[in-house]
Amino acid sequence: MKYIKQVLGGELRQYTMVIALAALIIIFNITSGGRMVTSSNFQNLLSGNAYVLVLAIGMLMVIVIGQIDLSVGSVAGFSGMVMALVARDLNFPWWLAVLVSLAIGVAAGAWQGFWLSKLGIPGFITTLGGMMIFRGGVIWISKSISVPAPPELKWFGAGYLPEWGPAFTGMNNSTLLMGIIAIAALAYVQLRRHTRSANLTGTKEPLWPVAVRIGLGGGIIGYFTWLFGTGRPGTSFPVPGLILVILVIIYHTITQRTQFGRHIYAVGGNKSAAALSGVNVQRTYFLTMLNMSFLAALAGIMFVGRSTAAGPSDGTGWELDAIASVFIGGAAVSGGIGTVLNTMVGGMVMAVLNSGLMLMGVGADRTQVIKGFVLLAAVAFDVYNKAHGRRSIIGTLFPEKEIKPKEGKPTGSDSQ
Amino acid sequence: MKMKKRLSLLMAATLVATAAMTGCGGGRQAAPETTTAAPAQETKAEETKAEETKAAEAATGFEAGATIGVSLPWLGTQNWKEADEMFKTQLEAAGFKAIVQAADNKVPQQQQQIESMIQNGAKVIVVGPVDGSQLGSVLEEAAAAGITVIGYDRLLENTTGVEGVVQFGSIKTGELQGQALLDGLAKEKGEGPYNIELFGGGPADPNAPNFFKGAMSVLQPKIDDGTLVVVSGQTDFTQCATLDWDNSKAQARMDSLLSGFYADKEIHGVLSPNDGIARAIITASEQAGQKIPVVSGLDAENESVEWIWSGRQYSTVAKPTDVLVGKTVEIIKSLQEGKGMPAPDTNVNNGKKDVGVYELPPLVVTKDNAKEAFANDPGRLDLLK
Repeated sequence: MKYIKQVLGGELRQYTMVIALAALIIIFNITSGGRMVTSSNFQNLLSGNAYVLVLAIGMLMVIVIGQIDLSVGSVAGFSGMVMALVARDLNFPWWLAVLVSLAIGVAAGAWQGFWLSKLGIPGFITTLGGMMIFRGGVIWISKSISVPAPPELKWFGAGYLPEWGPAFTGMNNSTLLMGIIAIAALAYVQLRRHTRSANLTGTKEPLWPVAVRIGLGGGIIGYFTWLFGTGRPGTSFPVPGLILVILVIIYHTITQRTQFGRHIYAVGGNKSAAALSGVNVQRTYFLTMLNMSFLAALAGIMFVGRSTAAGPSDGTGWELDAIASVFIGGAAVSGGIGTVLNTMVGGMVMAVLNSGLMLMGVGADRTQVIKGFVLLAAVAFDVYNKAHGRRSIIGTLFPEKEIKPKEGKPTGSDSQ
Repeated sequence: MKMKKRLSLLMAATLVATAAMTGCGGGRQAAPETTTAAPAQETKAEETKAEETKAAEAATGFEAGATIGVSLPWLGTQNWKEADEMFKTQLEAAGFKAIVQAADNKVPQQQQQIESMIQNGAKVIVVGPVDGSQLGSVLEEAAAAGITVIGYDRLLENTTGVEGVVQFGSIKTGELQGQALLDGLAKEKGEGPYNIELFGGGPADPNAPNFFKGAMSVLQPKIDDGTLVVVSGQTDFTQCATLDWDNSKAQARMDSLLSGFYADKEIHGVLSPNDGIARAIITASEQAGQKIPVVSGLDAENESVEWIWSGRQYSTVAKPTDVLVGKTVEIIKSLQEGKGMPAPDTNVNNGKKDVGVYELPPLVVTKDNAKEAFANDPGRLDLLK
């Protein structure tokens, strides 16, 4: 046990959801007779859920600031429809249509952010209004008829990376290259951190846990590289999955490493205290809502790409899927807690449940019931843990200060 | 927090990988600008490949106990619930392994269901789409995996992945609805001119505009010569459409039409695209204190059969689900025996290719012919008492 802790770096509880996800995948793989862990099913999992996970990234930030956004589904549907319409009726090239659609998303976000931050209307009300406005808008501009999207967009919603290079590898070389570089980067970052932490703290961590970590991490990346790379010829790690990975890296960095990210957590944890310590609460609210609708537009585009057409009821109920992912990922209803990576795990739990139950032939009715129970259980588990001596909000927020005091920014040390 | 850190490193690593890949894009392809075009070409190549294998397969058929997937839009109306049960029984009676699922009227859910059927190794997938034009990429994926996709009841548009569609002729259905409305008006409401209103189905369903078009081909001449008067002036399909075939939306529209245009007029007839909407229209008329207008319908739902028998709803058009399911299973059997798709009755362009359509004739049911119409349907015959 001690050795395991040393490898994973203490706090095994943090891994609960990851372990639950792994267990789900294994159980479904057994009950479905090996149909869960296949190249094509994992490709489907990513292509089919990327849009919800993209929404969940933005929704996490909204929930962390203590608000909620009910309009994301409608905004996604609206911007997707605008894109299809300008491409068909105004003959815009596909990339221009995409830009118009993203601009619509930003404008929608600015609209919601304005009501929330400048006029102080609660986010729930603001976005409930937005939900109706944009849903009505989609139906209005589309005249309730689905509109085919430019065919190039299919690549974003359901496409694969190109095949190239030697054939002896037996897999998609784009995927293979991604995997190799990911493993190399993992090793490099781990080793660098090891030496750096030794220099900073003076205590020397033994080298073997680092080696085991690189071995384990590399093994997992290698396995998934193999899984995604050896599907039907012409398939690879799916493009929507790649878009998602890039977004996750960007938003993980924003929320964990930048001043704006710290402001989001500060405002969500204690708005007045944040305001008193010089955080611009209004600006934080505004930007978070703006960002949410921007991501909603992007999700709408990815979905339209996958569907090959924009429909009048696109986006119905997506906000609830995104919210569920965030809470299963351990965010707090009161705000201030939650991370992008845990949200992704939460979203994948939902996605794997969906896919596994469908493979077993369980109907949509019972799937809903099961997902409801999972949501309740996940949140209840989290609440129970917190009530029994988990770390405080500040402790969860700034745990690195204990290890690397010299790296902390002035704002960070204030909160300790 | 440590886990997050570890994961973050992993993610960072992936980003580096991505960046590197983009960087060397020029190296692996002669012309960088073909990067976006490449996938399209690839899919095209795949499709031709898939078609070849399918042709080969058509000659050989597949094993008798193969898995057949059936993806239905939802179970919210009687005809879909019947289809759900009949597909299970008829496919299993024919010796197949059936996976029948319904998508709760949500497009993403249906996309995922079809993908899980591909995973489950289905040889044929029957699709009653939520939205006929939004399944493009998953159906092409199915076709690429050598699966035959058959549309059920609704056309599958905007995709090359479909082989044929089994449905009742929807223009014909519309014509029958229009004619039934005219006959009913002459029979029950005396001399014209008659005040009527028009309702259409769910716009996302490609059949709905065709029902409306068929009905208007009968009604428009009578509107032009003044026999029929559409008091609200709403004669455009988009004005008359009922989003998602939702009865409550139709009832709300009828309520506002009646209060807005019929305060001092009597309404004589209403064109309704299906039975649920017909009952919503009748209920709204009763609540507004009107005499029940002549209303058309579709699907012969149990409740409407009772209403026709008791004289509240004038007519419906029966599209017997067992005939439709039977025809579909017949095609699947022909594929299994290696005889390929039977010759279609007509071809319709779905935006990407010509799709063979197998059309079945619908049947108008009024109180006068109800007994004969349901002679082979003990469930519905029981209602006529």
